[in-house]
Amino acid sequence: MNDMDTDARTDAEPPARSERDLSNAADMIVCEEICKWYGDFQALEGVSATIKEQEVVVVLGPSGSGKSTWIRCINRLEQHQEGRIVVDGVELTNDLRNIEKVRSEVGMVFQQFNLFPHLKVRDNVSLAPIWVRKKPKAEAEEQAQALLELVGIPEQADKFPGQLSGGQQQRVAIARALAMEPKIMLFDEPTSALDPEMIKEVLDVMKNLALSGMTMMVVTHEMGFAKEVADRIIFMEEGQIVEVGTPEHFFTNPTEDRTKLFLSQILA
Amino acid sequence: MTAPTNQASSTHEAVSQRVPLWRDAVVVKWMTQVTLLTLVLATLWFLASQAGDNLSARDIDIGFDFLERPPDIQLSEGIDTHPATGGRALWVGMVNTLRMAGAGIIFATLLGVVVGLSRLSNNWLIQRLGTIWVETLRNVPLLVQIIFYSSVLSTLPRVGLDTGPINGWLHISNKGLSIPRIFIADGFYQWAVVVLLGAIGARYVHKRRVHLHNETGANTSPILWALGTIVVFAIVGLFIHPAFSFIGPIMGAIAGLLDSLPVILPQVVLSAAAIFFAARWIRGFLADRRSAVGHLALSDDDYFRIIFAATAALIAVAILSMWSGFSSWLINSGTDLFEVIEDKFNADGAARPFDAMRPDIVKPGKFANYGTSGLTITIGFAAVFFGVVFYTSAFIGEIVRGGILAVPKGQIEAASAVGLSRAQSLRHIVLPQAFRIILPPLGNQYLNLTKNTSLAIAVGYSDIVQVGQTVYNQTGKTLPVVAIWMLFYLACSLTISVIVNYYNVRLKLVER
Repeated sequence: MNDMDTDARTDAEPPARSERDLSNAADMIVCEEICKWYGDFQALEGVSATIKEQEVVVVLGPSGSGKSTWIRCINRLEQHQEGRIVVDGVELTNDLRNIEKVRSEVGMVFQQFNLFPHLKVRDNVSLAPIWVRKKPKAEAEEQAQALLELVGIPEQADKFPGQLSGGQQQRVAIARALAMEPKIMLFDEPTSALDPEMIKEVLDVMKNLALSGMTMMVVTHEMGFAKEVADRIIFMEEGQIVEVGTPEHFFTNPTEDRTKLFLSQILA
Repeated sequence: MTAPTNQASSTHEAVSQRVPLWRDAVVVKWMTQVTLLTLVLATLWFLASQAGDNLSARDIDIGFDFLERPPDIQLSEGIDTHPATGGRALWVGMVNTLRMAGAGIIFATLLGVVVGLSRLSNNWLIQRLGTIWVETLRNVPLLVQIIFYSSVLSTLPRVGLDTGPINGWLHISNKGLSIPRIFIADGFYQWAVVVLLGAIGARYVHKRRVHLHNETGANTSPILWALGTIVVFAIVGLFIHPAFSFIGPIMGAIAGLLDSLPVILPQVVLSAAAIFFAARWIRGFLADRRSAVGHLALSDDDYFRIIFAATAALIAVAILSMWSGFSSWLINSGTDLFEVIEDKFNADGAARPFDAMRPDIVKPGKFANYGTSGLTITIGFAAVFFGVVFYTSAFIGEIVRGGILAVPKGQIEAASAVGLSRAQSLRHIVLPQAFRIILPPLGNQYLNLTKNTSLAIAVGYSDIVQVGQTVYNQTGKTLPVVAIWMLFYLACSLTISVIVNYYNVRLKLVER
């Protein structure tokens, strides 16, 4: 993408993430008391949070705590039943036009990649720009090639997803999401299905994306990534937000007992 | 230094000497192949000679001469209702079967897709209707359904008394539905050349419009433009087609040239081709088996394949050189073909490509029936058609539903996440992947449908089985007719299988 000048940013000394002042930045995602049930089971019990423009938020928590459900509510892959979700000034309701608008501004990366296996890598990336943004095919393919370069696999454009390694597939998935030029990127456990040696190549791409100023919400178990890149960490358990804070606060002196227990199990 | 080497080689020799023949893997493998082949051939020979002895003992003639004799049969419908020979009668039956199978496959597919999609619909009523359709039709035997449709349609008013809403143009009666028929006239073939040129032009226009779409992103509707090109050529062709009558003499010249060829020429050319293709195949096979550094390792099966290819080519050459009748038949049919084409193009300059006639009613004996002027769908055709189409659509509906459900949920989520609408996601993501899952079982349904058309005998539709039965009832040649049936259905099924497998291989997902 032309407007994303990553090289210039990586050369300069990046400011310590948590010291950035984002108080004047615009609200990108506003969640107010959202609740969601699956039958009798309540997955989200009144989750409220505001995510600012350019902010990188990492959501941590044990499995089954509602992290994925929450992030999937933000682009309406799941419907919340109570509360409000406003994404870049557009409220998510049953209005199909609003849902379309939000989805075309929010990119999503899944745990299982979900690449389209019948399309070449290049077509995976250029499909949505061509059919949703109505871009000329030549232009969309040029953009796809540039994005594949950005995620470090320009030579794989003519292969099919089944011919790539897991790490390469996930990087294609990131390029596919970026092709819609989203304002927000959601990551739902992007490295959980990867072999250890492939995790780094995906995290590097995500780091560069964060440095370029993308608003990001990341559900992950990668503590190193959380420490290094996050502006804020949100800790969830049983459908509720337990603790919110900067990485320093969260990893060095958490206030809640449940957070301490979680960290002791993770870092043991 | 030498001692260990000697010892090693002697051990090696000892091992190779010690293996008895019946434990040697290579020998056992070859012996099994040869023995099995001999057994199969011997069994076939035994069965054939036994059957021959029994048949001659009981004085049953299994010759095919009835194909050439006048059969004294009237068929209810088909390209020729008063066939001159038994072979012609069977041919009319085959055409009727193919017509039924072709129409059945097309309509069963369309209807099946609708049924499958409706069972997946969010609309409660549509979904229920789909379920009722499937559960009713697939649980009633096809034969019962065909007889049911036939008896329902037979309650229509009698022909000639009250013949339909638009008298003279459309007849609906207990003899079927008859509408005006458009048929090809003498000028058709010249006009077809213009349309063919139009198709070539349409291909070019299509390419241009696709290119324009890729350049600008604008909606250029390439398919509409291509169709429009063909339509324009077709309309212009109605006026300029006599200009193409010059093709006739050219075809005549080719026919004359073919006629003057010596009989030996096809024999030599075909023999050379057989040897050439066998040699090319063997060369390709060897190249395929050779590793990157040029090492060639052939298994026993590989040797068997090479020997088989070479033997097949030699047998073909032997047959060709001994059987000069085949060669002259080739030359004669080639000559005939081009003479027929010449004839088709030698139409009068004013000849029209098409003509049309209104349906007529004739009364050859006591009973009235439709004549040959109109295009008629008989009750027999309709009953079998509705039977196989409805019955198969229930199965195809289930296959389509299963195929769509088998596309992982993550695919649809990913499509929504990048902003594709429901329709776009269906078209670009779900259906292409579902189609790969659907295709093999769909091919099975096509085979079933084709074979099920043989139930036409129940309602007197003149398919190959019904005609064949009439023929052997009159001539007593049961076995030859059954052999023709079997070969015919085998040819149909293999053709469908080959087509389905071709697409199956072509659409396979590329994995590592």
